[in-house]
Amino acid sequence: MFSRWNWVAYGFYLVLNICSPDASSGLVQSCGHIIPESPVLALGSNFTALCILNESCLDFGNIYASQIIWKIKNRLVPKEQYREINRTVSSVTFNDTSALATPLTCNILADGQIEQNIYGITVTVGLPPEKPKNLSCIVHQVSRFTYVMTCTWNPGRHTFLDTQFKLRYSWPEEIFPDCIPKDVNNSCTITDIQFFVNTEIWVEATNALGQAESDPLVVDPIDIVKPLSPQNVSVSSGVLPTVLKLSWENWISDAVMTLKFNIRYRIVGDTNWMEVPSEDTASPRTSFSVQGLRPYTEYVFSIRCMKEDGEGYWSDWSEEKTGITPEDQPSKGPPIWRIIDTSRSPASCWTVHLVWKALKPFEANGVILQYEVTVRDKSSLSSPVKKYNVTSTNHTLQLPEGTYEVTLIARNNVGASPPSVLLIPASNSKAPVKNLRTLPKHDKLWVGWTAPNSYVLKYVIEWCLVSSSSDCIIEWQIALGDVQGIDLKGIKPFKCYLITVYPLYADGQGSGQSVKAYLKQDRPSKGPTVQTKKVGKAEAVLTWNHLTVEEQNGFIRNYTILYKTIDGNETVVTVDPSKTEYTLSSLTSDTLYTVRMMASTDNGSRTGPDFTFTTQKFGKGEIEAIVVPVCLAFLLIVLLGVLFCFNKRDLIKKHIWPIVPDPSKSNIAQWSPQVPAKHNFNSKDQMYPEGSFTDVSVVEIEADDKKSFSEQDLKPFDLLKKEKSTSEGHSSGIGGSSCMSSPRQSVSDSDEGETTQNTSSTVQYSTVVLNGYRDQTPLQVFSRSESTQPLLDSEERSEDHSGGADTTEQRQQYFRQNGGQDETNTDRPCFERTKQITHANEEDLVGFVQLQISGQSSQPLGLGMEKNTQEAALSRVLQTCTEGQTVRPETVEENPLSVDEMPKSYLPQTVRQGGYMPQ
Amino acid sequence: GDSWGIFTFLCAALCNLPALPALNCSEELGAGQSIQQTYDLTRYLEHQLRTLAGTYLNYLGPPFNEPDFNPPRLARAERVPSATVDLDLWRGLTDNARLAANYRAYSRLLCYLRVLDGQVGTAELRHRLTHFCASLQGLVLSIGGVMSSLGYPLPAGPAGPPTPPSTPAAPNDFLKKMDDFWLLKELQTWLWRSAKDFNRLKKKVPPAVVTLRLEARGF
Repeated sequence: MFSRWNWVAYGFYLVLNICSPDASSGLVQSCGHIIPESPVLALGSNFTALCILNESCLDFGNIYASQIIWKIKNRLVPKEQYREINRTVSSVTFNDTSALATPLTCNILADGQIEQNIYGITVTVGLPPEKPKNLSCIVHQVSRFTYVMTCTWNPGRHTFLDTQFKLRYSWPEEIFPDCIPKDVNNSCTITDIQFFVNTEIWVEATNALGQAESDPLVVDPIDIVKPLSPQNVSVSSGVLPTVLKLSWENWISDAVMTLKFNIRYRIVGDTNWMEVPSEDTASPRTSFSVQGLRPYTEYVFSIRCMKEDGEGYWSDWSEEKTGITPEDQPSKGPPIWRIIDTSRSPASCWTVHLVWKALKPFEANGVILQYEVTVRDKSSLSSPVKKYNVTSTNHTLQLPEGTYEVTLIARNNVGASPPSVLLIPASNSKAPVKNLRTLPKHDKLWVGWTAPNSYVLKYVIEWCLVSSSSDCIIEWQIALGDVQGIDLKGIKPFKCYLITVYPLYADGQGSGQSVKAYLKQDRPSKGPTVQTKKVGKAEAVLTWNHLTVEEQNGFIRNYTILYKTIDGNETVVTVDPSKTEYTLSSLTSDTLYTVRMMASTDNGSRTGPDFTFTTQKFGKGEIEAIVVPVCLAFLLIVLLGVLFCFNKRDLIKKHIWPIVPDPSKSNIAQWSPQVPAKHNFNSKDQMYPEGSFTDVSVVEIEADDKKSFSEQDLKPFDLLKKEKSTSEGHSSGIGGSSCMSSPRQSVSDSDEGETTQNTSSTVQYSTVVLNGYRDQTPLQVFSRSESTQPLLDSEERSEDHSGGADTTEQRQQYFRQNGGQDETNTDRPCFERTKQITHANEEDLVGFVQLQISGQSSQPLGLGMEKNTQEAALSRVLQTCTEGQTVRPETVEENPLSVDEMPKSYLPQTVRQGGYMPQ
Repeated sequence: GDSWGIFTFLCAALCNLPALPALNCSEELGAGQSIQQTYDLTRYLEHQLRTLAGTYLNYLGPPFNEPDFNPPRLARAERVPSATVDLDLWRGLTDNARLAANYRAYSRLLCYLRVLDGQVGTAELRHRLTHFCASLQGLVLSIGGVMSSLGYPLPAGPAGPPTPPSTPAAPNDFLKKMDDFWLLKELQTWLWRSAKDFNRLKKKVPPAVVTLRLEARGF
């Protein structure tokens, strides 16, 4: 019953709670509250809260303090931290407030199940303010009468709470209104300040957990002033070229404070400030003359100030003002040098280019209006001094060779410079510098030298960029006599420079020493192009051109030749850079070589294009060495052959050139006048195959197989033989002609084997035998052929020609035809002889033919005999020949050879067969 | 005897030097410094007043802003402390008397000036007057500081914020302007003379001398 009522009441409460427009307050008021309300707690401290239940709730809802549970946000606070003080009060204790969070709620667990919120509080955890530290103040001048004081301090740690800072200041008996910082917590600006009274300044920091106060700063604000920088600064130049006067206005009256100043200045374009010594400007002033400046130079000035006694702060630097010092006369003469051009001027006359450098601004001390050049001939005192006024920095003179003194003066508005003197001597005969050398230093090229022994006034250093395409444009510089090295500026890398140093003495100049130098080297921009000049069997001469100066990019230290065969290893040869030719040796003959060339500087190398060549197969003179001996050998062989042939000519002649009796010369031809012999001869010539062979019927017979001869066929021969043997006795006349006729007869017979037979069988020749052989009884037989045969025609034809040459030709043709035939014919030598004789003298032929015939007839006699017998026989024949006819003795000597071969010949056989009747 | 005495004095001075209370030392040293500061402040006030007076007289208008305007001093202006005391007589006074006279005069003048400040129409002028008043207040404090540093008692007088005593309202605007004119004029005179006073006092009490005297006194 009770519990039901209880529930009803509880439900009523809930409804009331929900419906109430001010629900929480209604509930709080009705059931309980927490003490303290909205506490601000120091971080790390301990904290105890009490939840006090209203009596009404106890009665109505049956709620007690023992049922209270505490929660932070939605997290339950452990029960160990609770303490039930009495029936209506429960407390919770936190040892460390850092565990706290908002909200802290007091709840009740109705009937042990339903959790009901009774009350909640906001807990703020933070820190009390720290003592502000490092308070410092500065008084800024804002305008002529307005000063503000800004104080800054270190506010200390973060408090997590709203903390108020107040800057307070006071006099001993008066406190001024506080300065409350806006938006910041570490500085504040007081706008109304009083000077010359010590003011105590401090900072107060306040928050819910406490208050802190900084150490007081006692200061007279006048001692912490940062004044405004001087205004209306102006720079004015006076009479002196080294002085500029600076004027300005101060913002602060002397009654407030006196000032000291700092003045700084620099040359326009320079970044380094110079400062006027501070002790010179340590007193109040509104102007100052800056001294020791360069004439005709623009300066920038700036000034600042502070309290004279050094208390306070320097003002900012004032705005920069510029001023130019007045001009002054040039402080020194321009450096002068000459370039003597002897190439383009006539003999014994110089073109002298005088060149000088414009003075640097600090030397010129103004605008140089003109230069005055004075040239005095030192060699002849009488010659007048020449003066030139020049506005440029060079002047060209035509001077005869000699010694001159050139004086140069630069002139500006104020005055003239001291003169610069240059001696132009006839020759540079004095001692040069020694040990000239260069060394690159970053972007500059250092040139050093060792001074000559005598005193040097100064040195002139000339340099120019070496170029293959254009002239060297000379730049120069003068160094004082006590230096032994200078840096050349503006030197380009990878370019070759020619540097010359001349020492200048009081009485002339020394000869120049030159050196080539690079600031920086690179590898060449291209490699040399190599070519062959000459290629041999085992060597090749390579040539190349030097790289141009532009291509070198450095000193060529060496050339490297790389060559190889197609499949072979590369061979490397290093060559001195001065050479342009090199001979490769030990090459393989008839081989394709690839060669290229590399030029190397200190910084690398580059290879040129490939070049290929093929070595020769034979070396120089090798062909000659082969050909000449071969030719010589050949010639020797030929000579030997000729000699041999000449020696054996009789034999040869016998074989290929048998004497053929000429029918046209025969007595028979004359003897039968009705037949025109010439005509016959001619026709015989045309009918070559038949006619020409008619002459040599005897030979034809030889060629034919002896077996083919029939007994009948040989009969005419028998006759012929008889005739021959009989004709021996006749030295001239009929005997000769009969001798001649018989071969002719046989010739007509023996065209071919058969033809011969036919002819011999059909053609009838008359044979006249005038005489028998020496040992035989001559047969006075005279027979005549009945037929009118082509032979006669040929005789006639030969008459037409009537030239011995023709007959010769005929015989030659004949010889050719029979070249392949057996040469054992004993008649052949005889024919050859005939031929020669024919050449010699046709007239003699008759007798000779007789001889031949007798020779022929004699050979069969020698057959089967001893050689001696034969020779004896022949010698007898020869004797006969020489007696009767003109026969050369040497031909006779040949005879024994042919006799050797006699057994093979047909003729003797035929003859034998036929048999010589007398034998 | 004499040399012995000097010797003991020196010994004692050397022995006591480290033992001397720093506060005392700085206080005594501060006398010269505060005199210098007061002198600077006087000069500063003179400088301020020069511009302020010009501005204010212009504000009052003619004939007050005329350079040669020199009206007779009216009887009612006598309440403003006059600096027209004979110079020799003034110099004959002791430092203490002069400082006290200055102190009193500036206190009175400050009271009148504050009244004047409240009546000025333009904000800019009022701001400058306020600043001037503050500075003058500083001067009064400074003089008090100098007097205390020199060991003189502060003159009994209108302590605290002095209220203008029984100022009969000016019968008309011109007379009121005459009062203002004379106030500024007297201020200028006082400041001019105070500057001389403090300059003289400054020379009389150089810091080094103060230190020596302090040591002697300590002995």
